Amino acid sequence: MVAPLLELQNIAKSFPGVRALNDVSFTLERGEICTLAGENGAGKSTLLAILGGSLVPDHGSVIIDGIKRAHFSPRQALSEGVKIAHQEPAIVPQLTVEQNLLLGRTSRQRREAGADIDQALADVAQMGFPLNAKTAVQGLSPAQRHALTIARAMAFGAKIVALDEPTTSMLEHNVEGVLTRVREIAHTRGVGIIYVSHKMPEVMSVSDKVVVLRDGTVNYTTAISQTSEQDIVRNMVGRELLAFKRQHPMPSRAPVIFSAADVSHPTSGKPLSLDVRAGEVVGIAGLVGSGRTEFLRAIIRADKGSTGTVSIDGKKRKIRSPRDSRNAGIAFIPEERKHQGLVLQVPAYANVALTADRQFNGFGPLISRRKQIAAAEEAAARMSLRPANVRLNARQFSGGNQQKIVIAKWTWRNTQVFLFDEPTKGVDVGGKVEIYELIDALAHAGSAVIVVSSDLPEIISLSDRVKVMRQGQFVSEHTGDDINEHSLVANAMGIAERTTT
Amino acid sequence: MSQPTLPKQASSQHHRGTGVKQQHNAPAKANRRTLPPLNLQALGIYIAAVVIFLIFGMLNGNFLTAGNLRDIAVSASVNAIIGLGITFVIITGGIDLAVGSIASFVGIVSATLMVNAGTSPFLALLAGIALGLVCGAINGVLITKLKLPPFIATLGTMSIYQGCAYVVTNGRPVYNVPKDFVFMLNSYVGGVPVAVILVAVLAVLCWLLLRRTVFGQNVIATGGSEETAWLSGVRVDRVKIAVYALSGVLAGVGGLVIVARINAAQTDAGSPYLLTAIASAVIGGANLMGGEGRIAGTLVGALILGALTNGLVLLNVPSFYEQIVTGLVVVIAVALDQGSKGWPLLKKRSTEKSEKKEATT
Repeated sequence: MVAPLLELQNIAKSFPGVRALNDVSFTLERGEICTLAGENGAGKSTLLAILGGSLVPDHGSVIIDGIKRAHFSPRQALSEGVKIAHQEPAIVPQLTVEQNLLLGRTSRQRREAGADIDQALADVAQMGFPLNAKTAVQGLSPAQRHALTIARAMAFGAKIVALDEPTTSMLEHNVEGVLTRVREIAHTRGVGIIYVSHKMPEVMSVSDKVVVLRDGTVNYTTAISQTSEQDIVRNMVGRELLAFKRQHPMPSRAPVIFSAADVSHPTSGKPLSLDVRAGEVVGIAGLVGSGRTEFLRAIIRADKGSTGTVSIDGKKRKIRSPRDSRNAGIAFIPEERKHQGLVLQVPAYANVALTADRQFNGFGPLISRRKQIAAAEEAAARMSLRPANVRLNARQFSGGNQQKIVIAKWTWRNTQVFLFDEPTKGVDVGGKVEIYELIDALAHAGSAVIVVSSDLPEIISLSDRVKVMRQGQFVSEHTGDDINEHSLVANAMGIAERTTT
Repeated sequence: MSQPTLPKQASSQHHRGTGVKQQHNAPAKANRRTLPPLNLQALGIYIAAVVIFLIFGMLNGNFLTAGNLRDIAVSASVNAIIGLGITFVIITGGIDLAVGSIASFVGIVSATLMVNAGTSPFLALLAGIALGLVCGAINGVLITKLKLPPFIATLGTMSIYQGCAYVVTNGRPVYNVPKDFVFMLNSYVGGVPVAVILVAVLAVLCWLLLRRTVFGQNVIATGGSEETAWLSGVRVDRVKIAVYALSGVLAGVGGLVIVARINAAQTDAGSPYLLTAIASAVIGGANLMGGEGRIAGTLVGALILGALTNGLVLLNVPSFYEQIVTGLVVVIAVALDQGSKGWPLLKKRSTEKSEKKEATT
């Protein structure tokens, strides 16, 4: 019997505080298109990184053509014909189409590459994007760039190709051409394709097989002919729920204290409105890239070109910059806490004081470190910061404790509105519960809280109400029992109509 | 706000979950005992300065005399003054290449005002400082409002301000600066040169500004993470403009000290100080990536450079070698700085060690 093209055996990979992959095994045959499905954070990216050689698994083996590959470097992966086409096209805009196809090849390889270039260009043309080899990539549309990336991955004797969300930037009629060509290439050249996409109709039409990851394990493997969109989604959701329940759900008849009207961010331009009551936690769910972060950034005017109005306690506030939003009592706790939430090389107390003007001044214009430290220590005690030493540099704290420092930047001020973006990203389980308790306490104290998260159990256990975003717009609102993984995922992926009716 | 208390269940979960995290906490715990965290590199530069002074002292008996030390301090003063401004700029993650030109420009304008227009020395001094402020603020505006990279913006204005200095007097130096002016900046108070007192006063003010004002904390935050500062409500653009304006003012003061020291204003008197002032800041621990820099470090950096020049002259080393030595000192100082943060090789070894430690405990 011929060995399968690719066999993954018991792959496991952990990062500090997170187990990304637990035990993943599946096989891929020549000419087969296998969809890798799963929620955000299910482990798809980690698996692709291992396949491409940029991550080394803690356990398990990658077997290609029956030969086990240990210590697979990205370079070896490429020479084996394992190609990953990432969601963000890895191309150099200043170079031409041809130069991009040849990127990373030695001059000798380049001289011999004529036929491969022609083939790749023919592939792109058949996908519906005729490109000239000499045009600079700069002038190409995102869809053209994606097509080029796909063709590049499939060229040069590729054996195994992973396509990560290859069609996000394409229009419907383009997608069809691309998928048709991808199928043809797979079948005629015997290339095995791992296809990652959230677009269910595409998955159903292009793949032979589907593997669903959940919590770092393979939850479901089946031939596409024997499954349905609903079955796939059902197997994606149902992740282990944390044992956390809000102690203080929103009191009934609480007044609306925060309202955003027609807020839009320059990248999407679609106006969004949202009211939040005192003591309410509103979760915003949606796929990565659906515009959730942009919504929060538009509220605080973090980026030029944002529009819309924000009212607090019914009064319209003039907000033109994060400074105005801070002074209006709005806190933004960003996703990338190391780059957006903290200054790592200064002490925790100085980070806490970053949101201050003169509040911690002592003698004249001079700040009082004593006051800064006292304020930081009070917040640290309330949040049980560990280590409980606010003189340590922010860098020296773990993810969860760093997040507490970021929150402390706002709690000492008179902050009424808290905007959280992925509040527990990179935080371990124990830390997560603590952050949830903090969010609950903030709401209980009468603040309005918005939580953007890709972690569905998180959204479900925290929120009084959930809004689902898709393509820059709120597509559904959920309360009570309607806050469940199935309905949130279905709406986020846009297959709600078919599942509910 | 009510105090969130940890339920028992969660805390036990936490203990189970920390197997991987302990690695993170280990260094933090070690640091808790030695507070505030000891900065080895900051100490290293003082030790290096002492060693350099001792070596020159042993090689030449005249080096460590009071008179010679005073000369070194005076010769280091211009680098120190200009370097203080550069330190602020570097902490924001920028660079100011225009300081030498601003020093020349301010010097020549103030001297012209005094000599040709009969302005009083005090007013001329104020005018010079104001000119430095404007020149620096223009740099800041170019960088923040036109979004020019600091290197490019100040490379451009370096040439512009130098050209302006030439234009003012058609490239001719201005001699016979009034005695009162020279007296203000180049005399002695109780045996201590005014320039040295000036440096001391400016350094204390700069230290207070950097470490004890909201502005200073915002400067550090802007350099450490501009996005964090912006999202925290810091007016990042204003901070940057102010920092370049400050650098311009201090460059101007440096230019005035040069005029007072040589009793004349030369059209390009400031240009040699550009690289040495940057070197002073860098030797003193300013990190060109932003977020780090020390006032005292910059002073020591300037002193080291002054001592090298002076000592090599006393030892009759041909002056051409001085540049080689200066360059070596800059390279070594920064290499040591990197080393204290861990060269990749050292880092590998130390993590291996810590892993071993963990395995045994």
